[in-house]
Amino acid sequence: MIKAEHITFEYIRRDEEQNVVEIQTALKDVTLHIKKGEFVAILGHNGSGKSTFAKHVNAILTPEEGSLYVNGMDTKELDKLYEIRQNAGMVFQNPDNQIIATVVEEDVAFGPENMGVPTGTIRDRVKRSLQAVNMWHRRKDSPNKLSGGQKQRVAIAGIMAMEPECIVLDEPTAMLDPAGRWDVIHTAKQLNQEKGITILLITHNMDEAIEADRVVVMSSGEVVMGGTPKEIFSRVEELNRLGLEVPFATRMAYQLQKAGLAIASGVLTEQELISELNRLAKEKGIDKNALKERHPQYYRNPPAKYQSKGAEELMKEVSLIFNHVGYRYGTGTLYEKQALKDVNLTFTKGEFVGIVGHTGSGKSTLIQHMNGLLKPDEGTIYFCGQDISEKDYSLKELRSRVGLSFQYPEHQLFENTVYEDVAYGPKNLGWAELKIEKNSFDAIKLVGLPDDCYDLSPFQLSGGQKRRVAIAGILAMEPDFLVLDEPTAGLDPKGRDEILGQVANICQERGITVVLVSHSMEDIANYVDRMIVIDDGEIRYNDVPERVFAHGEELREMGLAVPKVTDFMEQITRNGYPACPYVIREQEAVDIIVSWFLGSNNR
Amino acid sequence: MIRDITIGQYYPSDSVLHRLDPRVKLFATMIYVISLFLDKSVIALGTAAIILGLVIVVSKVPLSYIVRGLKPILFLLLFSCVLNMFFTRGETVWWQWKFLTLSEEGLYNAGFMGARLVLLVVGSSLMTFTTTPNQLTDGIEKAFRPLNKLHLPVHEFAMMMSIALRFIPILTEELDKIMKAQAARCAGFEEGNLIEKAKGLVPIMIPLFVSAIRRANDLALAMEARCYRGGEGRTKLYPLYYKKRDYMGYGCILLYLAGMIALKVL
Repeated sequence: MIKAEHITFEYIRRDEEQNVVEIQTALKDVTLHIKKGEFVAILGHNGSGKSTFAKHVNAILTPEEGSLYVNGMDTKELDKLYEIRQNAGMVFQNPDNQIIATVVEEDVAFGPENMGVPTGTIRDRVKRSLQAVNMWHRRKDSPNKLSGGQKQRVAIAGIMAMEPECIVLDEPTAMLDPAGRWDVIHTAKQLNQEKGITILLITHNMDEAIEADRVVVMSSGEVVMGGTPKEIFSRVEELNRLGLEVPFATRMAYQLQKAGLAIASGVLTEQELISELNRLAKEKGIDKNALKERHPQYYRNPPAKYQSKGAEELMKEVSLIFNHVGYRYGTGTLYEKQALKDVNLTFTKGEFVGIVGHTGSGKSTLIQHMNGLLKPDEGTIYFCGQDISEKDYSLKELRSRVGLSFQYPEHQLFENTVYEDVAYGPKNLGWAELKIEKNSFDAIKLVGLPDDCYDLSPFQLSGGQKRRVAIAGILAMEPDFLVLDEPTAGLDPKGRDEILGQVANICQERGITVVLVSHSMEDIANYVDRMIVIDDGEIRYNDVPERVFAHGEELREMGLAVPKVTDFMEQITRNGYPACPYVIREQEAVDIIVSWFLGSNNR
Repeated sequence: MIRDITIGQYYPSDSVLHRLDPRVKLFATMIYVISLFLDKSVIALGTAAIILGLVIVVSKVPLSYIVRGLKPILFLLLFSCVLNMFFTRGETVWWQWKFLTLSEEGLYNAGFMGARLVLLVVGSSLMTFTTTPNQLTDGIEKAFRPLNKLHLPVHEFAMMMSIALRFIPILTEELDKIMKAQAARCAGFEEGNLIEKAKGLVPIMIPLFVSAIRRANDLALAMEARCYRGGEGRTKLYPLYYKKRDYMGYGCILLYLAGMIALKVL
């Protein structure tokens, strides 16, 4: 189906006089064969060349050296161009930027229309494609009304309608929430199994790659590994070195192995890991009921409940208080929506707080109240004891002390240099030149950007670096609070760990309160001291994460999840092992399981 | 809120007018506008008003919805009425102060112009009420196709229009987001004199342009990947074919035009 033979591709950047400034080798001697009907996942960190490869399959880019054949057609042959594009359809990362029409069905028809397919046939194809991705019922809707996952499914249908033999999905889930992600991957898998369509999935999310028949790992433009998911994921350390992580069950199995448990390599799913544990228990003759008595400290005492300080005490220090806050969107119109209902919350100095809720739950409205971008319709918000809705209250000061960074903050960069962009906030505050300079340089250092980037254009940096510049722009205002909306969206595992690690550092060393909005329960479990769950504008939980995640059922009902490890511990409880409801971090789970198995050995 | 702005105030319903071919409606609107300027008699204007009233009834668009559509031009309407009222030189002068005169003719003129403006706006907005932006684009593309021979890029223009319709809401939302993000960095867009205000726009406009260009880039790539190569050889999911009712529509329009011309001549 697809044959890449020694292909090489370079991005060349030129200055105004067409002199070559920089050559970046995106693909280096890549040879890859993909058979018809295969589901292949290409993994790699950001900038590994995987997206460049995807664009070659669709003949958007053509190799400088070597050749790529789609169904025997060389992508360099211009007269075969449209046949190749029809045969190997492509779904892109941003759901908004690939939908052309203002009505779902018309967008799906766009490809066949371009190909000159007769009207009657187009209608059949639109119907079949929309049914295949389960979006037929939304055919008359505007794409703007759909969720991210639904938009991506429409995009897939748009490709399906061209009746390709192969679909290339270029990081289709990077901008989606977990529910949307599952939706898209599930759809791709279904098309592969039921319609025999060859799928080429580009991703840096390992859990999505488990479904594949074959995994190819790329790094700095080269194919470095290839094989079944089992083979690839048993090479945990190598993958870590490449800035990737392995799926949860594989990671757990690896940790348990390292601790001395005789677990077979190549475990991919939770189910496989449980059967391995069961096998081990049988071999060792372990009585699961007797395990309860061992190391009870892990699962007997629930962690202390979160207690907010009293209002009077809070009013005196650096604090943010929500008192019966309510907010309505579009008052008096058809779209009126109660976005916040009777919200009571407190935030104190030095806390690391997580906010969790599905898309549209009101979490974005909530954080916009924190720095006065939105004013409550009901109730009061106090910052350091002062009502922020009062007429003479300085919003400028509030916003400098409660720094807020939106999702994809790099989209707001605008200055010529990194330094100037970071200094924009402090300048608005009218500080002295010296203070602006000092604070800006400090902030750039604080987010871990290299020294030589001060004078670069922010648009020259990589995605992860741009985001850091944006966060530095907030930190330069010396905030007491740092509110971050999805700071890790679209980053690869390494980029994610680096940013969260730095944020945690800032929280600890500078005593800045951090409020982290995230879809990733793992990030919440690993970093925050307290988490807030919001659903339909109401605060449902406000407690330490251990206690909140013990409510797995309720969270799932709200369309949320628990960390994978918590879910795993629930599963092994159903297999007869003692219940440990308060486990939310992987290391804790490893310690507990090791104590069960090796503890019995030692006795 | 910026994002509440909607483009094209389509009113979903299933009237004959909604089902009519957009080209017929385009033609009808054009004829109607012309007919309003044909004659300056009350009878002609009255006939035009009655016909429009009938069409509104057929369209099933509620009157309140139509009246609401007049709100944006309220100022223009009042302005032109007042202007006509006081600046028309008439013979029967009732009241005079310096260069302002209030005469019978002035009052008549003001009323007439006001009524004409209202009919003009209601008549043309009836088209957008009963036609989706998509149909409209399709209609324009097909109606003006003959201009292709003059090497005018009709298809490209229609494609641009439909892409604009799709991206305007996305970009307004983006603008809203950027404004909030810069406000969170203590930007003051509304402070200072005119120059300072203009400077304050830079942090909003640059990210917006960058985003628009990035989206355009992505979109072009996506369109190319889906075999887009201009209007030639393209087929349509819903091609426009004239049906019986469309020919009848054309008949009615021509009859109306003939009637209006007759009124003028007689």
